[in-house]
Amino acid sequence: MFNKNPLRKRQRIGSFIGIGIGLIIYIILPLKQTESFLSLGPLNTGHEGLSCNACHTDAKGNLIQQIQSNISYTFGMRKTKADFGTENVDNKKCIECHDRPNDRHPTHRFLEPRFKEAIANINAAECETCHKEHNDTRVVLKDAAFCVNCHYDLEVKNDPIDVPHEQLIKNKQWNTCLQCHDFHGNHIYKVAEKIKDTIPLKQIQEYLKGGTDPFSNKKKYKPLTEEEWIKIKNKYAKK
Amino acid sequence: MNHLKTKWIFLLTSCISIIIQSCGGVPEETSSNGPSDKVFAVADILTLVAEENDITRTLYTKGIVGAGKKQGLKFDEDWQDDEIEAGPLPALFLRGISSDIRKSDVPLGLYLGSDFPINASNKFQGKQAELFTKIKADQKPQHFYEEDQKLYTSMFADLAVAAPCVNCHNDHKSTTKTDWKLGDVMGATTWQYPSDSLSYKEAIGVINAYRNGTKAIYNAYLKEIAAFKIDSTKPQIGKNWPSKGFYLPTAEVFIDSVRKLASYHSMETLLLVERKDQNTTKDLASN
Repeated sequence: MFNKNPLRKRQRIGSFIGIGIGLIIYIILPLKQTESFLSLGPLNTGHEGLSCNACHTDAKGNLIQQIQSNISYTFGMRKTKADFGTENVDNKKCIECHDRPNDRHPTHRFLEPRFKEAIANINAAECETCHKEHNDTRVVLKDAAFCVNCHYDLEVKNDPIDVPHEQLIKNKQWNTCLQCHDFHGNHIYKVAEKIKDTIPLKQIQEYLKGGTDPFSNKKKYKPLTEEEWIKIKNKYAKK
Repeated sequence: MNHLKTKWIFLLTSCISIIIQSCGGVPEETSSNGPSDKVFAVADILTLVAEENDITRTLYTKGIVGAGKKQGLKFDEDWQDDEIEAGPLPALFLRGISSDIRKSDVPLGLYLGSDFPINASNKFQGKQAELFTKIKADQKPQHFYEEDQKLYTSMFADLAVAAPCVNCHNDHKSTTKTDWKLGDVMGATTWQYPSDSLSYKEAIGVINAYRNGTKAIYNAYLKEIAAFKIDSTKPQIGKNWPSKGFYLPTAEVFIDSVRKLASYHSMETLLLVERKDQNTTKDLASN
């Protein structure tokens, strides 16, 4: 009755192969074993072995809902965009595991207007400015002289160190700050009182690249492990 | 044939559109339903929460720090260091509240600054410094829109309300001013919020975020006490305040006292808008 086009068979085979490959990708790519293949780069120091979805948590709603929301946003029918696939990884995600009441430089402090110029130079209000993930390192900054942005006019009364802070600042030796002071203030250690006893700059640089911790192996607060984080997340999800 | 193809494409597109549309989108995370809900001006709510802050800090400074020092309790800027057995100084108590607010979903910013701070990083600069000179002169709040950050900002005078404020700042080893006296404007709190108006739900959210912050930092202090190495340095924690002896109130007792002092005024402020609305409706009806 109908004249079949001889090319139809080829089209069908092509379609089946296409659907097959699609299905394989859909099944295989989300598997844990393929995570390293999907990753943008090796994880940073301390994050080795974390699952992708420890940070890249599922976005709210299903795929179709997310598409609809973003189409609505495009046409001005919605005020905010919806996350597509996975949620955006921001400070809040980092804080879920790294929240510490003793943080000497919490990111939110830099949101105050007085730090406007400082954060134009280095955006300390975002964790990833220093700790951008997938770089196989601890700190991505090229050098550790960032303290100058806020502490350029530092005056220390009753200065405890043999080479006074005033002198160090005058000589623009901003690389020496980290030889005594740990930026987030979580290490338990005794600060040196003589420059010659401070942590050598080379060791600090190695540490920033992911090397051994030269401050101390004792820390006041430890971050949550992935298992602890999942446990807490599930506890609140049930409520 | 072409006609048939077009028909199929049209049918397929329609089906996909219907499927996508029928699922509904991801709910938007807004706490109000429309502009009509936004009954509070941001400056009014920031004033309300700043007043709660004044009450909380005065209570902490007088009732805990001032009275506690007389009982032998210590307060230090490095209160969280393992080797230091002390509680947070009032300025750090505020910073603790501010940190806890940031952990919540309420987009409220709270900061403390001065022109003569103990810690140089708390010194006002730029527009804040400029407005602080006005605050120092008349003690009136300053409300402005911070263009770069796109945040509504209010600054309120922070007064030397109790003897410990004056004594500690005058005697501190790193002080930059040694002649503070009671009643002086020692600094200012800066509050920021991203919207020019708030709904009831958002206003309550702001108040709760502040109160939860108070509870969190006070609990952190009690936790620190629990870790003191010598038992005799640990005050008894319960219903009593340091004015009665070597005691500290529990977080619940402390917060309850704040509530008793602050809630009446806060509630009145919240209801004032409702009354204003009713009067406007009556005026419109009579016209």
